Amino acid sequence: MFRLLSLALVLWLTVPAVAGAQTLQDILQTHQDEVLKPGRRSVSVVLDDLVASGLPQALPFLEAWRDREIVQRGSDGLFFRAVEDGDVITLTDLDTGDSFAATDPADLTESRPNGGVRRAIGDALVQFQLSDPDISKRQAAVNAIARSMDASQLAPLQASIEAEPDPALKETKTRLAGMLGALFADTQDARIDAITGLSGDLSVDVRAVLNRILSSSSQVAAEVPAEANVAQILIVGTDITTEEAYARLVANDLAPPLTTNTDIREALVANITGGMVGDVPVATLDTDAARLLAYDALAAAGTLPPRVKEQNRADAINAHTFFIQYDESDAAITDAAATALRAIETKVALSQAADLGLDALSLASIYFLAAIGLAITFGVMGVINMAHGEFIMMGAYTGFVVQQFVPDYTLSIIIALPLAFAITFGAGVLMERTVIRHLYHRPLETLLATFGISIALQQLAKNIFGTQARPLTSPEWLDGALVFNDVIAISYIRIAIFVLALLFLCLILFVLKRTRLGLEVRAVTQNPGMAASMGINPDRINMLTFGLGSGIAGIAGVAIGLYAKVTSEMGADYIVQSFMTVVVGGVGNVWGTLAGASLIGFLQKGIEWLNPSNTLAAQTYMILFIILFIQFRPKGIVALKGRAAAD
Amino acid sequence: MTASFFARHPSVLWFLLCLSLFTILVTLLSEATGVGLISTSFVKTLGKTLCLCLVAIAMDVVWGYCGILSLGHFAFFGIGGYAIGMWLMYARTELIVVESLSKQVIPPTPAEISDAIGNQIFGVVGSAEFPWIWGFADSLFLQLLMVVLVPGLLAMVFGWLAFRSRVTGVYLSILTQAMTLALALYLFQNDSGLRGNNGLSGLQNIPGYQDVSQATVSIIFFIASAVALGAGYVFFAWIVSGKMGSVVKGIRDNEARVRFLGYHVESYKLFIFTVTAVVAGIAGALYYPQAGIINPGEIAPIASIYLAVWVAIGGRGRLYGAVIGAAFVSLLSSWFTGGGAPDINLGFYVIQWTDWWLVLLGLSFVAVTLFFPKGIGGLFDYLVRKPS
Repeated sequence: MFRLLSLALVLWLTVPAVAGAQTLQDILQTHQDEVLKPGRRSVSVVLDDLVASGLPQALPFLEAWRDREIVQRGSDGLFFRAVEDGDVITLTDLDTGDSFAATDPADLTESRPNGGVRRAIGDALVQFQLSDPDISKRQAAVNAIARSMDASQLAPLQASIEAEPDPALKETKTRLAGMLGALFADTQDARIDAITGLSGDLSVDVRAVLNRILSSSSQVAAEVPAEANVAQILIVGTDITTEEAYARLVANDLAPPLTTNTDIREALVANITGGMVGDVPVATLDTDAARLLAYDALAAAGTLPPRVKEQNRADAINAHTFFIQYDESDAAITDAAATALRAIETKVALSQAADLGLDALSLASIYFLAAIGLAITFGVMGVINMAHGEFIMMGAYTGFVVQQFVPDYTLSIIIALPLAFAITFGAGVLMERTVIRHLYHRPLETLLATFGISIALQQLAKNIFGTQARPLTSPEWLDGALVFNDVIAISYIRIAIFVLALLFLCLILFVLKRTRLGLEVRAVTQNPGMAASMGINPDRINMLTFGLGSGIAGIAGVAIGLYAKVTSEMGADYIVQSFMTVVVGGVGNVWGTLAGASLIGFLQKGIEWLNPSNTLAAQTYMILFIILFIQFRPKGIVALKGRAAAD
Repeated sequence: MTASFFARHPSVLWFLLCLSLFTILVTLLSEATGVGLISTSFVKTLGKTLCLCLVAIAMDVVWGYCGILSLGHFAFFGIGGYAIGMWLMYARTELIVVESLSKQVIPPTPAEISDAIGNQIFGVVGSAEFPWIWGFADSLFLQLLMVVLVPGLLAMVFGWLAFRSRVTGVYLSILTQAMTLALALYLFQNDSGLRGNNGLSGLQNIPGYQDVSQATVSIIFFIASAVALGAGYVFFAWIVSGKMGSVVKGIRDNEARVRFLGYHVESYKLFIFTVTAVVAGIAGALYYPQAGIINPGEIAPIASIYLAVWVAIGGRGRLYGAVIGAAFVSLLSSWFTGGGAPDINLGFYVIQWTDWWLVLLGLSFVAVTLFFPKGIGGLFDYLVRKPS
């Protein structure tokens, strides 16, 4: 019937609509009996004619028919679509679509297609939808086929490809037809052709199709059956464990289940008579050996079935062959599918490696952003600022507050970035003037004082903004991801963070190496006394440098807030990592921070890839690696040399 | 350690005297003796505070005397707690399991008992297997050995690596912080073998002494903590007073100069680092049975920073300073956060101390570091110094 249908469809598509004078009602009148009492065979006549007519109103009619809404009026034999609403039955003319209330409900006879007929109607509907003039309907039909692939869809789909006007949809259809062909084509050659055609495609659904062809089941038999398409013969001990092998024998009723310790205990409990099991007192049964003896004694007496021992198990396993058998019986097809899948998987693995690289790059840029401010305050000035994380948090909350007043997300981010810089710059300068200035010669105490500021700021944020995470919404143009293929994708927000990190790197390098301020900063950090005698005011320079580092932390906060949630503890999450980034990279050098962030980012992603289920373990191993790394390169990757390196 | 040691260091005697008087007073007033002026939960708080004082002394020796700002000593404290917690949890579960299994018609086999204990302990992390680190958990003696050995070995290996490469100052601080972070993250995993973030619980029940009331148990642990603190105090006072103490203080003040004088600086540092880690482990082993529960959150990096802060507030470089700092700040913390402090109504805003205590605490660190670098203990200098 399907072939007939598709033939009809092809005819309809190639021969321009012959209809015009014909109405839907005319066709239905021709086949009155078949419409009213459709059988699985008789219905095809109606469907063929409907398809051949090419009438647009055939589609709603088929839907209504499938939904059992078609009635025949006894007085003139005309068909209508009937919708029942309480007592009122509304009839709809099938050609014109005019609705009116039925005058005599008793005069109507329902057409009640059974399940098989409704399925046939559904298939015909797919053809209509696949060639519908409305592209969204065609798209929906294609999606429906992709969701539940079925042999019957192949022919109508292939037939609709030729006349498809939309190139993108045509490609989708061709691809889908390829997948359907791989699964359901009639001849072996056609299937193998279709399978070979799929081999360049990385998408998940193609892999699913190939895996479906290659679906297999574990079998066990005394001898491998000659007709079986065997994927692999399993060797007990290497491919499957002895326990698994025996469990499979038991599941297939090829061997009796092993007598477990639990079985023995239950059997013994069931046979206790007067404090004795057989002739063994119950109190002595507190070891496995004693229980075995008691059980064997009972078995010898015939009370219990004999125990299945290790030797029986080994014999049973040796007497059978364990193998994996393809559900598909044709070896040529499974071979082709396996080859195609292997080719795809190689490509997928390469793409995954590239994707992992991108992931690592974006993680490295986040670490870099979080640490770059620290690279200035800690790396260049040597001040341990434990409140650096809280400056990141302040920046993120600045972004959040701005978004409360400026509803436009793009604009709010544009406002938030400089505002966050200004606020944290101010906070940094304030902190430098009031606290850090007095502690330049006591670095360990700076650590404590700034830690105090850190917990005070954290609690303050908690008091003001509450403990729940606040959202920082990114503008719409940062939603979504840049997709290279089905495996490699990177979200725009990560690209933005990467770009921001790059921008900061250039900015800071420029400020430090090319400006008067940078020159003075470097002079003061190398030798404050000498710098002062050259007319540089070290106080002013220290203040500005610290402000700059803090301000950058604020901007990083906005960026990190877009990527993660804003909480009062977000700073604390980054602070230890940031210090390690700076220390690993090498103190006093912006390039070092970049190297440190890259090393940590790539390392963490690499370890996560080895053990994807456990990010905690990845972090643990990464920290251990860093601890060891510092043992061997205490000054970091990029170590300063000469006078600048002096403590 | 002769009479002359105490004669040369009268502060040790004073400290021991105060500690014994305090211990006797609390014992007499506790519920265990029937007086009940001090509740059992407060006795536990005091006992825990004594343990914190002990680890604070250790911190003071390593930082205040040797100049190594370790931000990882609370990790050793936690390891000590875990080591004793494993025995407490195993032995108690074993008692419960054996009792419930003995009601069966057939006496249980050793394998059945072990499986049931495994199920009880590791059911929460979806496992029933005993990890290898629980190999000694059935022996109190071996676990007590672990309390000393594990922190000691970890500190020795870590210290050997770090001091050998001459990692000093803030770098060492960050490295020790990384160590404690790594340990905490590791323990947070469910397959770490120590019940992930559930930690070990029910540690306040001492196996074999179920019939003894918590009032008595708490006072026994309180006295044990006091004894440990006293012994630790004397031990460290002895270490930092002799010739070795001078070398150690020399290292703090100018490491290079001590090295040039021919001392093997790394060995001294390693010794101090390891010994203080062991004492921290012992303090933890006394602390967590009183706390009743230990989980990886306890050894997060922030705990070690707090430890440093206690010492700083109490006054570095003097052992009683560390004791005062730890006792003062931790008791004050529990008073404020426990809702003991009255809220202040400003008319337009009510200051609730549960919310604002950390702000106050943080700012007071800043104030202490800036204005009282000698900490609270520095006040004693004014008392001792004769007016001239």
